[in-house]
Amino acid sequence: MKTIPTLGDILQAQGVSRRGFMKYCAATASLLALPPAMVPRIANALEQARRPSVIWLSFQECTGCTESLTRSSSPTLEGLIFDSISLDYHHTLQAASGDAAEAARHAAMEENMGQYLVLVDGSIPMGNPGFSTIAGISNYDMLMETVEGAAAVVAIGSCAAFGGIPGANPNPTGAVSVQDLVKDKPVVNVPGCPPIPMVITAVLAQFLTFGQLPELDIHGRPMAFFGQTIHDRCYRRPFYEQGKFAETFDDEGARKGWCLFKLGCKGPITYNACATVKWNAGTSFPIESGHPCLGCSEPGFWDKGGFYAPLSTGKFDSGEKLAGAAVAGVALGAAAAVAGRRRQAKYTKEA
Amino acid sequence: MDLLDFARGPALQVAAYILVAGVLWRLVGIIMLKEKPEFSEPRKPGGFMAALKVIYTRSFTAAPFKRATLYPKMLAYVLHIGFFVVIFLFVPHIVFFEGFLGFDWPGLPNNLIYLSGVAAVVAGIALLVRRLTHPVLKLISNFDDYFSWFVTLLPIVTGLMMPVRMGVRYETLLAIHILSVAVLMIWLPFGKLGHTFLVFVTRGTTGMVFERRGAKT
Amino acid sequence: MTTVDGRHPLDREAERLAYKPPEVRHDIQGDMETEERVEKAMHHFVKNFNSQTASYLDGCLHCGMCADACHFHVRTDDPRYTPIWKLELFKQAYKREAGPFALFYRLFGFKKKVTIDQLEEWQHLLYDSCTVCGRCSLVCPMGIDIAGLVSMARHGMFMAGLIPHELHETAKRAAETGSPLGITPDKFEDRVEWMADEHDVEIPMDVEQADVLAVMSSIEIQKYPQSIAATARILNAAGESWTFRTDGFEATNFGMLSGNPGWQKEATMKLINAAIKIGAKLIVLPECGHAYMALRWMGANMYGKPLPFKVMHISEYMADALNTGKIKVKKVDTSVTYHDPCQVSRRGGATQAARDVIRHLGVDFREMEYGGDYNWCCGGGGGVVTIKRADPLRHRVFKLKMDQVEKTDADELLSSCANCRQSFDDSQEHFNWDYKMGSLMEMVAENLEDEA
Repeated sequence: MKTIPTLGDILQAQGVSRRGFMKYCAATASLLALPPAMVPRIANALEQARRPSVIWLSFQECTGCTESLTRSSSPTLEGLIFDSISLDYHHTLQAASGDAAEAARHAAMEENMGQYLVLVDGSIPMGNPGFSTIAGISNYDMLMETVEGAAAVVAIGSCAAFGGIPGANPNPTGAVSVQDLVKDKPVVNVPGCPPIPMVITAVLAQFLTFGQLPELDIHGRPMAFFGQTIHDRCYRRPFYEQGKFAETFDDEGARKGWCLFKLGCKGPITYNACATVKWNAGTSFPIESGHPCLGCSEPGFWDKGGFYAPLSTGKFDSGEKLAGAAVAGVALGAAAAVAGRRRQAKYTKEA
Repeated sequence: MDLLDFARGPALQVAAYILVAGVLWRLVGIIMLKEKPEFSEPRKPGGFMAALKVIYTRSFTAAPFKRATLYPKMLAYVLHIGFFVVIFLFVPHIVFFEGFLGFDWPGLPNNLIYLSGVAAVVAGIALLVRRLTHPVLKLISNFDDYFSWFVTLLPIVTGLMMPVRMGVRYETLLAIHILSVAVLMIWLPFGKLGHTFLVFVTRGTTGMVFERRGAKT
Repeated sequence: MTTVDGRHPLDREAERLAYKPPEVRHDIQGDMETEERVEKAMHHFVKNFNSQTASYLDGCLHCGMCADACHFHVRTDDPRYTPIWKLELFKQAYKREAGPFALFYRLFGFKKKVTIDQLEEWQHLLYDSCTVCGRCSLVCPMGIDIAGLVSMARHGMFMAGLIPHELHETAKRAAETGSPLGITPDKFEDRVEWMADEHDVEIPMDVEQADVLAVMSSIEIQKYPQSIAATARILNAAGESWTFRTDGFEATNFGMLSGNPGWQKEATMKLINAAIKIGAKLIVLPECGHAYMALRWMGANMYGKPLPFKVMHISEYMADALNTGKIKVKKVDTSVTYHDPCQVSRRGGATQAARDVIRHLGVDFREMEYGGDYNWCCGGGGGVVTIKRADPLRHRVFKLKMDQVEKTDADELLSSCANCRQSFDDSQEHFNWDYKMGSLMEMVAENLEDEA
């Protein structure tokens, strides 16, 4: 039996310092809302962890989620951790193709039956299996076959978590999310378009450390990252309270960094960690660069009206129906008045 | 469709249809009843200006009644002004109106909005207590009075809960808030909340009738 | 501590602790079946609903502020005397029968049919405890003319034969004899002659053509006949071509007060026809409040077109004559306060006239606190003074008036309404009160300069 190197060995081999590693563990602990006392335990668990087998399935997606994880300007700890799992199947990243690739997937499934993790990005078309196939296998068949022996499934990105852009009205492919199909395995949703890389690695880290999945919210998202709204943690929140709003993208308010609510910011109804974890190695997040939050980690964000329509805008259709209601009201009023007058006339006669 | 989408979409739309239809129903139903002819020789020109005058002047209490009606009037002012400030000067609301009016106006900082809302609720509660304890009000009140009170305060209370949250998810609160507004819109034309538009008719009528007599309005 | 509920309030006037005794006498006229009575009431309520009354009946907020303006409520704290509550049945009928949502009110029974028990109870509220003074109409934040609605609601009560006997008998006598006090044309002529002799004044009677038709109220003819002479002296001094007419002399209108529009119209038409007959350009109404409302503001509507002559209350006439120099008065060295008749001032718009007259008299005028348009009613208007069973309530209410008058500390109390004068006299006797009400017109007549 060959020795499988632990995560600690790999990190050491890649030149990650002990200090850097502990820092990562502390950050993970705080993200997961764990007490500082847990940091050594995380470190220990991670160092001792065997590379878990991960099968990554990509369905109707844009590869943005994978890009988000791999396109870091410099190698990050998350990236390294990610490198350190045994990514046994990922058809975008793996060298093998065709039968060889599928053989690798089957091998990984057999070898780690009941142990492996399935990560999915992209939604599954239910309209016609031919809409999206890999090696001639429909997405649906591949998903159901693969999750059968999985310990858990992590839906990466809003397409896998909620149906995403393919599922947007009118949803031509009949796209559905992972949780719509997988009912007998734990499913963790890590939505976002794309999701924050740190969130994915943190979920994996928790799985490695404690052998369990994180606490989830009503949409199956880890509470630790999706427990608070962007609005609640937004550094521009004081401007909202003061009633100071940017009206356009180039006005004084925009330059002064005032609240972007009127420009359509969905921060108040969007649960994600962007405002705290931030993007690009903690550089910034969309609102910080002057753009309102699109609410990309919320179910159906693509069909919630315009990105630039303020949150409190009602969804009214054309005035025709309203005019119809007005006409109906006048008619009813006239009918009521006529009825009243008739009764009066009748009573006058009787009296 | 989640609850928020339902609230923002169909619920608000249907409420708007009912609001418009109901208001016109009631107004036309009243106005199209037979006309009362008036042949007496006027002392003063009455007409539209007289109507406008009384619509304005009845917003204030005549001196002889000030002492007796001070308490309820004060509460009513707070409730009305508080309610109007919250509705028309809270920026997210302005943005809502801008959505179909096409223009906006400056709003107030949120803490002033919260203050107005709380003041309105406190005044509303005081008015309810008065209604439940004052012999006159106990006698003359009916279901309409209590239900109208409820649907008026509900949107303010649900609105005020949004910053407080109390463990309820924001979008759920927002949906409940919008639904409570829809309930208000649906009930408004039919019960005593109809005074929002009938006040112009009743005051205007009295203005025209009494001003032409040269009598006190 | 016990609480006093609304239906059985404490009797605060009583000498020892007592609850207000329930009033039990409901008067019934005619021999209709109960059902017919209710139906009649309903039908005649409904007849009154037009766009104006409808907006009023639909607009009430139940704020209860009208209670604070009503002397009956203010003096008794009985919530049933809340003005708008007096209209509850009228409202009920409106919502069921003619309102925009009447169908639903009937279909789902949101508003029940008015019952005979309710009607009987409301007899007290619509008659005994409302003088149609209209003070409530001024406090209403919605601007609802509550008093006007009470007058209309009385139509249904009258037609159902459910009004106080005394008022009914008075109104009936007025319809039958032409005068509520049974003053026939002959009797009127007698009294006019008597006054002409006694006061040595020329009083034209039944002149064929005259510019001015003067009319009197029965109360004056009967109780204050000197008013006849005073009227004559003023019109003579002004050099008017004027006359009294035996075919149109009664200014009071008990058809209006009791709620019989037919009788109201008959009484009004008598005056209008008499005036037209002699080609009058002006009817001068006597010192009577409701006569002013009946002819000045409702007369043309009874006639169905604008009146071919002007209508003036005697106070308006005097103010006009004094302002234009038609008559002149000597200065009078006394202090005076003035009680405004509700139908002339608050509801009639002639508030200023009496003040002009008083100014010409040169007296020390002491306006009551919130006098003029916000004046407390004498308590006897709207026919209340005729209702015997309402006397205790009326006297109680009169206290407000007494306070208002006493605060001025004026030497003399004047008014320009015989009905007010009558209820003042009655209450004065009841309370052994110092103030005796005088007539503004008589004061003018007594102090005319250069009388012919």
